[in-house]
Amino acid sequence: MGLLTILKKMKQKEREMRLLMLGLDNAGKTTILKKFNGEDVSTISPTLGFNIKTLDHRGFKLNIWDVGGQKSLRSYWRNYFESTDGLVWVVDSADRLRLEDCKQELSALLLEERLAGATLLVFANKQDLPGALSKEAIREALALDEIKSHHWCIIGCSAVTGENLLTGVDWLLDDIAARIFTSD
Amino acid sequence: MFGYIWQYVYTSFLRYWLKWLIRQATGTCELQRICSGYKPGALRTTKAEFSLQSSKNKVLKVALETSTNNLEQCVDQIMKEKNIKPQRDPRFKESLHICLLQMTGYSSLYRSVEELRKEVYSSDNPKHEAMLLKLWDLLVPTVRLESRITKQWGDIGFQGDDPKTDFRGMGLLGLINLVFFSENYTMEARQVLSHANHPKLGYSYAIVGINLTEMAYSLLRSGALKPHFYNTVQGVPELRHFHQLYCYLAYEFDKFWVAEEPESIMQFNQYREKFHNIVKSHLQDPEVCLTLTFSSKN
Repeated sequence: MGLLTILKKMKQKEREMRLLMLGLDNAGKTTILKKFNGEDVSTISPTLGFNIKTLDHRGFKLNIWDVGGQKSLRSYWRNYFESTDGLVWVVDSADRLRLEDCKQELSALLLEERLAGATLLVFANKQDLPGALSKEAIREALALDEIKSHHWCIIGCSAVTGENLLTGVDWLLDDIAARIFTSD
Repeated sequence: MFGYIWQYVYTSFLRYWLKWLIRQATGTCELQRICSGYKPGALRTTKAEFSLQSSKNKVLKVALETSTNNLEQCVDQIMKEKNIKPQRDPRFKESLHICLLQMTGYSSLYRSVEELRKEVYSSDNPKHEAMLLKLWDLLVPTVRLESRITKQWGDIGFQGDDPKTDFRGMGLLGLINLVFFSENYTMEARQVLSHANHPKLGYSYAIVGINLTEMAYSLLRSGALKPHFYNTVQGVPELRHFHQLYCYLAYEFDKFWVAEEPESIMQFNQYREKFHNIVKSHLQDPEVCLTLTFSSKN
C-alpha cells in the first residue's frame, strides 16, 4: 500500500501538460490566459512574442504558451510546436471578415507533423459581443467536421466574462489524459 | 517577526511620543521640520505625504482628499490646527501648498489618465479617426495612405489592416501617446521608427508603443511615478506630463533594444521586463527625473 502511494505520487509529478494557444491577432488569447489564471483582463495590450504561464489545475501542471497572432509573428509559431499535448485555437467569433484567413491558418497547423499527436480545442471566443457568430456557424466556417487527424471539440466562450473557459479546458485535459495517462 | 513588532510599536506609540518630544524641544511640528529640512522635490513631498497619512488629526488626514481649489484654505486650517505662526515660519505656507498640490495632483492625474484609457477607440468617432490619420502623416509624411483600411498600417507597426483593434486595454490613451511623441519630437520619433523597421533588429513600432503606454500606466497606478512627478513638476502634474513620460519610455526603450540586439521579436517580453526593471530601479532614487535627453549622434 505504502509503495503504491509513493508510486502514485511520482506519477502525479509527471502529470505535466503543454498547451499551445494560437489564433489570429485580436482573437483573445492573452485574455483567455489571464482570465483563466484569475488576473485582471482590462488592461491588456497586443502580444509581441509570447507569454507563458504555469498553473496547477485538477492535479495537472499546465504549461500554457500564448504566442502573438499578428501576421509577422506567425512564421515563429513553429518554434513552439515541440511536445505540445494540446492545441487551443482561439477564434474571434465577431470577426467575420477574417474567418477565411482563420480557416487557412488552422488547416496549415493541422498538417504539421509535430502537432500530429495533439488534441485540438477550438474556442469560439467573444460570444458576449452582439455580432458574434454561434459556435455552430464557426464550426461550419472552419470546416471542423472534415478534421479526421485530431481529436477536436469546439466550445463557445467569452474570455471577458470567463464563460465556458473551464468547460473547454476541462474537456481538453480529459482528452489528453485519456491518451497519455491511460495506465492510471 | 521582531521587525513586525518593532514596526507596530513604533508606528502606534513611539513615533507619536518622539514627535511630541521633538516638538517640545524645537517648537516646530513635523510638517515644519520636513518643509524646512528638505529641498523641494520627492524627498520633501514624500515625507510630508507620509506625515499626513499617518496623522491622527482629522484636518491633516483629509488634506490628501481635498480638491485643488480648496487647498489654500486647507493649508490655513492645518496651520491653525498646528498653531504655526506665518511670521515665525514665512515659507512654510507656500512649501506645504506646493506639496499638497503635488500629492492631490498625482491622484487627479491618475483619474484623467484612467478616463482616457477607458475611452474605446471607435471608427465612428471622427476625432479618433483624425488622430489616427495624423499619426500616419507625422511619421510617414512622404507616403500617402491608399485607404483607411490598408496593409500600409503595418509600416508603422500596427498588427493588421485596421489599427482600431490594436488599442485594446489602453484605449485612446495609447493613440494619444503615440501622436504626442510624433508631434512634439518628430525627428526622434522618425528615428525610432527607422530602428523599428530594421530588417533584423526591428520591432512593431506602434504595438511596442502601446505596450509602453501600458508600462507607463501601471507605473502611475502603483504610485511608482510619484518621485518622478514630485521632482519634475512643482505643482499639479497634468496629462502632458504623463505623455512626456511616455516619450521618455519610447525613446529609451528603443535605445535599450538596439543596444541589446535581441535575437528576434519573440524575445520582446523578456526585454520588456528587463527594461521595466531598469525604469523601476531609477524610480527608487529620490532624485529621479525621467526626462528625455538626446544623444548628439542624431
